[in-house]
Amino acid sequence: MSARRGPGRWLRPLAAVSGGLVVVLTALLIADGVAERLRVARESDRFEALEQAVLSDASRAEELAGEREVQTARTMARQERNRAFAWTLLAASAAFLAAVEGGRLLGAPGAARPASAGPQGEALVQLRPPRAVAAGPPAAAGAEPELAFVDEVVAARGASREAAIPILQALQNHYRYLPEAALRRVCELTESTPAEIAGVASFYARFRRTPVGAHLVQVCQGTACHVAGSGPVLDELRRRLEIPPGSDSDVGLRFTLDPVNCLGCCSLAPVMMVDDRVAGRLTPTSACQALAAAEAGP
Amino acid sequence: MTAPLERPAATPLEVRLGMGSCGIANGAEPVWEALRSGAREAGREGVVKAVGCGGSCHREPLVEVVAGEDRSLYTHVTPEMVPVILRRHVVPRGWPARLRWAARRLRDPEEPRPESGPRSLGARIVLENCGEIDPRSLEEYRRRGGYAALEACLDPARRDGVIATLTESGLRGRGGAGFPTGRKWALARRQPAPKYVVCNGDEGDPGAFMDRLVLESDPHRVVEGLAIAALAVGAEEGFFYIRSEYPQAVRRIAEALRQAEAGGFLGDDVRGSGERLRLAVREGAGAFVCGEETALIASLEGRRGMPRLRPPYPVESGFRGRPTVVNNVETLANVPWILRHGAAAFARLGSAGSKGTKVFALAGKVRHGGLVEVAMGITVARIVEELGGGVAPGRRFKAVLLGGPSGGCLPAELAHTPVDFEALARTGAIMGSGGLVVLDDRDCMVDIARYFLRFTCGESCGKCTFCRIGTRRMLEILDRLCEGEGRQGDLEALAELADRVGRTSLCGLGQTAPNPVLTALRYFRDEFEAHLHERRCPAGKCAALVTYTINDRCIGCTLCAQACPVDAIAYRPYEIHEIDDAACVRCDACREACLDDAVEVH
Repeated sequence: MSARRGPGRWLRPLAAVSGGLVVVLTALLIADGVAERLRVARESDRFEALEQAVLSDASRAEELAGEREVQTARTMARQERNRAFAWTLLAASAAFLAAVEGGRLLGAPGAARPASAGPQGEALVQLRPPRAVAAGPPAAAGAEPELAFVDEVVAARGASREAAIPILQALQNHYRYLPEAALRRVCELTESTPAEIAGVASFYARFRRTPVGAHLVQVCQGTACHVAGSGPVLDELRRRLEIPPGSDSDVGLRFTLDPVNCLGCCSLAPVMMVDDRVAGRLTPTSACQALAAAEAGP
Repeated sequence: MTAPLERPAATPLEVRLGMGSCGIANGAEPVWEALRSGAREAGREGVVKAVGCGGSCHREPLVEVVAGEDRSLYTHVTPEMVPVILRRHVVPRGWPARLRWAARRLRDPEEPRPESGPRSLGARIVLENCGEIDPRSLEEYRRRGGYAALEACLDPARRDGVIATLTESGLRGRGGAGFPTGRKWALARRQPAPKYVVCNGDEGDPGAFMDRLVLESDPHRVVEGLAIAALAVGAEEGFFYIRSEYPQAVRRIAEALRQAEAGGFLGDDVRGSGERLRLAVREGAGAFVCGEETALIASLEGRRGMPRLRPPYPVESGFRGRPTVVNNVETLANVPWILRHGAAAFARLGSAGSKGTKVFALAGKVRHGGLVEVAMGITVARIVEELGGGVAPGRRFKAVLLGGPSGGCLPAELAHTPVDFEALARTGAIMGSGGLVVLDDRDCMVDIARYFLRFTCGESCGKCTFCRIGTRRMLEILDRLCEGEGRQGDLEALAELADRVGRTSLCGLGQTAPNPVLTALRYFRDEFEAHLHERRCPAGKCAALVTYTINDRCIGCTLCAQACPVDAIAYRPYEIHEIDDAACVRCDACREACLDDAVEVH
């Protein structure tokens, strides 16, 4: 929607004006061409008549010269006019094309959507990773995460060994994974040794040590989901997202696939959870649609 | 305390909507909005109520209208159906609204029609309040007799009676092992203070969700159960250990604890008795082995969740080296009922060795999945056929999986086995925590065995060698079988490894890990042999051993060609399609897409 308010606001009037201009100019050129033809036929008749008259009466030579002058001036003026029309026509069509194309380019992320709501239908075709990540995780890869949060959490939970798991859970909720620097800070602040923290962080399946994609997709691998076909669902999602072997996220870090043991919604099997939304009774096709819907946003 | 409390007075009029996480997953939220705005229009906001899940997960979203004894149940409710339901049952406030509704009712359709109420065979004990009360209301729980048992326990003279009543009732741990709860508490009571109590809500069995449902739908019952446990054994501190995959359950228990504290049922001076009681929630972090009590305690202490040798049992030395009672959610949910209704009422239900009821999470190929509570002693077949509605038409009921990765399969021939700790153990399966996954003739037992072994192999904490490496070797054999690369002697090696893993592992995870393989080998050996000798998967499930073909029922509609993710089906309208076997990845998309049953799997 915001694109409407930016450059998109004058694109539409521009397209209208330039489009109108193209139509008007084309019409003028055609009309002018027709008028010219009629005029030339009429005037050449008159000129020939004058020429004949001059052959018998030399005093009319003056008149013939005047007529030639007038006709030449008219033709020149027409050519001049046509040239101006043609240039304007070219400029107007260029402006029109630019306005329409520019509108489509600018409009794709925001402006065009409200008109064609309901993207779930055909949208899934483009699950491939072309565009850059729209909304990355708060502390995306590379960037050094701010560590003040670690201090806060430790202050709230205490520095005992027993608090290690709740602290790591709070950190994971905040950073969406456990950055190395944050873990080192935990070791500094609490009684736990680096070995203990590393041990806990690697033992439990919920703790992640690598950044997570913009959307976390938990695919249930419980028994009920397994017999209902969660395997093919997971395979298909990996295939569609072109996730490299050995990785759990696609190249653009848009989606992270996380197979989990059981989400406890067995009567909806096979189930997955895209961020906080449960999608049930999946087929490979509907699972891809659910991802496309998640990417399109609520 | 054994005098049964009278039933609460009949409710005036309530329109209840199940809003457990299963209900929300099924789309209850827009229905809730519609109910609220409809009730507001009628000026009767008070009648709508968000309740937990009553167990009929397969037909959610579920709206139940209760007026005194009359109950009407509407299933698969959509927001569009809500005004019709409300107009049928709710009388609006004020004449203009009444006239308006009466006028609209003339044009209301006949549908939806109410269906019969929740299903159960035998009494509802654990699920007594699930789907009946608002889980976020302490008041409502109290109106239904809640916290009465806890208040009775505050009298020191009666406290010994608690353990005696539980022992008499014959309640056994519902987490799987079936240890008598009364005896566990008596052992802990003799230990010196400080002591701890822990509610084990780390429901790891993939395919079981009764603990989630009880925690979400009736949290105060579990809080009361744990508080009674603490009073009975003399503990002042307790924990709820709930797996992190159940965010709603964690929220509900935390909220219930706050309310109970505000109501004086927890805190430094419980109901003016001078007793001190503090309960807190801890979230798990995704380790199946933490369902084992010593591993759970290690996790509570902030360490890697690895089990240790028992004895000493946690009742002697557990959390912080102090005596600790660990009870399952369902066990604790039984406790308030037993104390309110008396041991005899509980012991009347069930079989000789197993008393009371058991909640099963019915899932898999059954038509009506959900949660069912049955009196012990009822046969598995009755659960599947009567409560679950059997398997889909045209399919054959093949087996049930009981007890998840620690349990095993029970073939259809043995489905007349009663639900009873000992009777089930004799078949090689176990009662387990109550996951009951139904299989039909399209499920391959080798694949199922491999599934469970992959699970236990991945969840093994790595402490015991046979559990760590033995399960991996077993998994490799099963992988080979499913890939059609089985070797001579594989089945014998599998059985031997299974035996060793079971005998040389420290905790329940390793000891029971071979059960799915052993029971599958015992009851479905022919399938294993077909994989090994004939390189064939009789159920058509193992991708490497099947081929997809299209028969002449094909009408050339190209749906399968459009669905194929690898373009293994050429796009030729009005011709019988063909699958390029070399390109096919066996994703099943074509069979799913086909409307004419033209895609065959062999």
